Amino acid sequence: MSDSFGRIAANEPLGRVVATERRPNTPHEFHFWTAITSPVGIGTIVRVDGANPVDGQIPRIYGIVVEGFSYTDLQSPMYDVIGHDGSPASAGFAATERAEIRLYTAAVLRQIPEEPLQPVPMGEVFLSGEEDVAVALRMDSYLKEGARTGIPVGVYRAGGTDSVIYLDADFLLGPEAAHLNISGMSGLATKTSAVEWLLASVFAHFPESKGSIAAVCFNVKGPDLCYLDQPGRLEEGDRVLYEKMGVKPGPFENVRYFAPYNAKGFGLNTLRSNEALLDNVTPLTWGLREVLQYAEVLLNKDDSGAKADALIDFIRERVVDRQFDKDPYLSREHTVQSFGDLEEWFRDLLRGLEGKNSDSWRTHHIATIRKVRNRLSNISTRCAGLVTDSGAVSDVPFGSFGDRAVYVVDVATLEEDAQDLIFARIVTKLREHLERRDLGVKNLIVFVDELNKYAPGDGHDTYVRKMLLDIAERGRYLGLVLFSAQQFRSQVHRRVVGNSGTALFGRMDADELATPGYSILSPATRTKLATLEKGQLMVRHPHFTQPIFVRFPRPAVMQGRDGAERYPQAAEISLDTALYRALRTLDRGVSFAWVKDMVALYDEPELLRARNATLLRKPDDVRTFFEAQLRRVIPSQSTAVNSGATTAGTIAVRSLPLGDPYES
Amino acid sequence: MRLTRIDGTGADHWPGSAHEARRFIGDRIPQCSGVEGLSQESDRYGRAEEPPVLVEPKVIEGRVFRSIAVADPGGARGNSAFAAFLDGTQRIEIVSQQNGIPFVWGTVAAAVRLRVDRRLVAWPKVAPRVRRRYYMPFRYVEQLAPELLNDPRVVDTGEANSKGVIPSKHPAALMESAVRKVQQDRELLEREMAEAWCAREDGLLYVDGSITSSPVVSRSMNAVGVIKTHRHLYAGGDAFRVLVGMVRGERTSVFSVAPSSRNPVASWYLRVRSAAGRDALFGLVRVEAADCADMTNRADEISRWILAEGAPLALPDGRWDKMTYGIRDTEEFLRAIS
Repeated sequence: MSDSFGRIAANEPLGRVVATERRPNTPHEFHFWTAITSPVGIGTIVRVDGANPVDGQIPRIYGIVVEGFSYTDLQSPMYDVIGHDGSPASAGFAATERAEIRLYTAAVLRQIPEEPLQPVPMGEVFLSGEEDVAVALRMDSYLKEGARTGIPVGVYRAGGTDSVIYLDADFLLGPEAAHLNISGMSGLATKTSAVEWLLASVFAHFPESKGSIAAVCFNVKGPDLCYLDQPGRLEEGDRVLYEKMGVKPGPFENVRYFAPYNAKGFGLNTLRSNEALLDNVTPLTWGLREVLQYAEVLLNKDDSGAKADALIDFIRERVVDRQFDKDPYLSREHTVQSFGDLEEWFRDLLRGLEGKNSDSWRTHHIATIRKVRNRLSNISTRCAGLVTDSGAVSDVPFGSFGDRAVYVVDVATLEEDAQDLIFARIVTKLREHLERRDLGVKNLIVFVDELNKYAPGDGHDTYVRKMLLDIAERGRYLGLVLFSAQQFRSQVHRRVVGNSGTALFGRMDADELATPGYSILSPATRTKLATLEKGQLMVRHPHFTQPIFVRFPRPAVMQGRDGAERYPQAAEISLDTALYRALRTLDRGVSFAWVKDMVALYDEPELLRARNATLLRKPDDVRTFFEAQLRRVIPSQSTAVNSGATTAGTIAVRSLPLGDPYES
Repeated sequence: MRLTRIDGTGADHWPGSAHEARRFIGDRIPQCSGVEGLSQESDRYGRAEEPPVLVEPKVIEGRVFRSIAVADPGGARGNSAFAAFLDGTQRIEIVSQQNGIPFVWGTVAAAVRLRVDRRLVAWPKVAPRVRRRYYMPFRYVEQLAPELLNDPRVVDTGEANSKGVIPSKHPAALMESAVRKVQQDRELLEREMAEAWCAREDGLLYVDGSITSSPVVSRSMNAVGVIKTHRHLYAGGDAFRVLVGMVRGERTSVFSVAPSSRNPVASWYLRVRSAAGRDALFGLVRVEAADCADMTNRADEISRWILAEGAPLALPDGRWDKMTYGIRDTEEFLRAIS
């Protein structure tokens, strides 16, 4: 029998297969009973040893418990009422307990031999040990020495058995199948924690033969992914799990963060804005060239149309980055490299058209031109902080991705338009680089949370959804793997979740479990899903014929809430403080007094442009480079002489504003 | 004719079911035809019952046959000291016939169910016993092979009874004789189990039925017999009114029971369930225990223990008013293994 820890000797049967005419066994399902003290539960993996050989081989059947029944020989509840004189309290004094059964239904995981496929025979039922679990889940095929492609996802526990469950890298990260989708209720630390743990596991166990791997994570809400490089709190039980699964219990060693500036442009628009953590945070800023390619993302159905598209295409092909002259409607030559330049070009063109009383230009109607001008110019406002008027670009390091590196793009606090733009451009660029094999790594995981929002099952088609569908359907051939998460799987586009070879489920909402997608699960399995503890997952994987329940350790990185407490977000800061903090990340010798001098001398836009250029270039001599980006200030000595003022009393005159406010 | 050696040791093949028994006997006795479809009706043969009689009780507790309250009829059930339950079952089927002479296949079984942590389990010291035998009147069977004739597992039902009467060829008479033989075999198994208990255990055994057949058990302080059927009602004369007037939690005075060719015991009636609105014998059991010096206290104590066995109910068994759950469990157990 089981010991005080519920452990059962491997050679001791814990149950017997039973079948009746009303409830027969089939090739895919069987029934067995156990002692009432048996450690069997929903999700337990068991082994049946048949009694009679088939083709000279004793059949072995592996199954997972999917349903359980308990009943006594009581035929009517009324008998119990009468037996205890209507008093439940007196039932506890009964000399004898009724005969009671624990009857379980198990779904077949594997039969050996696999042919001929027969109904499960009568036989003794044993608790599966580690080896049995490996065979039952067909993990033996990818855990062979020399050809291991197993990625630990968690530990299966039952009756004292602690068995590591491995996913097959060929089916998790391609090329056979790919992608992973996680569903679970919000706020139970399941989805993000599971992804953080699984990334650590992938980085630790990704087979060398498959090359390098990195991850790009889009932080779409809260501080969840903002502290991946900081150690988290682990309990002893977690450390044991890490050791058992061969993963180092520490934070990610190579993490880089990317976030746009806030609307003012002083600080970064991220929860990871604490000065102590800024050393690996890079601003994400794009100019006209970067944005125009994805203008479709930011234009709604009313905005876009054949006429507008044609004009945008023309601008992209013929105007941007080209010398545009010899046009009768333009007063001067234009070289459009930024949103500022584009606005100048539009303004000049419209003035020319009005001056010549013309209503079209190169087949484009003036109304279309005005509309496109309005929409494109608006982008830099709607995506302020990300899109720069100046055209300065600070980007994710496409082409130089590092092996086992994590790149977190924080879009949590951005407007929806900006989020879409970032998502669309980065993923498209990643895809282009992977196609050309010049990203820097051979395999890339892209993690996107809130898939309900980005790839909903209903609603109009969006650029982002189309792109996610494209990754889900074709990404595995490129080494581009989508790890996605959402609260309601039923509300995500079927082709996105359908193409995810591996699916993880944390605790689920009862309403969600009532949707048709979960009807293949037994009522008991659904109940278990609705009551899963933190750190427990149900796993579906191409090699597993039935879902498996596993435990995974707490991620070894600082959790968002802890990080937000320990490293509070930087408060709204002044321009001088913003410059000081930004430049100090490049040169610790930069002094606040020097920064204040700069702020006294120059305009805010000019200073920010100089800061951005300095951060992008990372020069050896920060101060000299920074000052070189600023227009020279002419000393006001002559004015002082004329007025008779002393030299000591002179003050520097601010340069003129960049734009002419009186120009229409 | 193919014959398998049958030496009674159990080492050879012996039918394990009525179906096998039908084929087995058909192979060995000529002109024998199988009888099908009677298994469901086997219970109709029941047990051989004696005619109901009213007997004057020989009171040994005081002088008058009276009712004595041993427990509050509305109060909670107390604890029970019964450590185990003993019961036996019998199953009778006509599997074949030869010129109208029935060949009966009888299965008898007995088991002790031990109570451990309020749950009943098989008594590990002595395994439950199951015996399967043919019952046939040798004198009427033609060409009965000597191997069968000398096999102890083939019982002759054509022998004269205690009064020297030989059963006629009337199938009902032969059946009654067979049933009586099967019943004797069951009682023998029960007696063996009860004696084994008394020899090996210190706890108290609840025996379903009389304990007078065994000199060992009838004198043991480790066994109590509880009789549910009342063909012999020890309530002649004024005692009858006392008996039918008993309410739940009352027992009668202790009287002596000493059947001929059996062993004397102390006995009393106990009302385990209220008979209000029911027939007079509803919830009435007769208890048998070894006589002892302080019989009054002993009878009170045993009565309270029996009352404590009132829950859970033995429903849906039709005898639930008198049967304890432990006995029902033992019957279900025997049904499963025999």
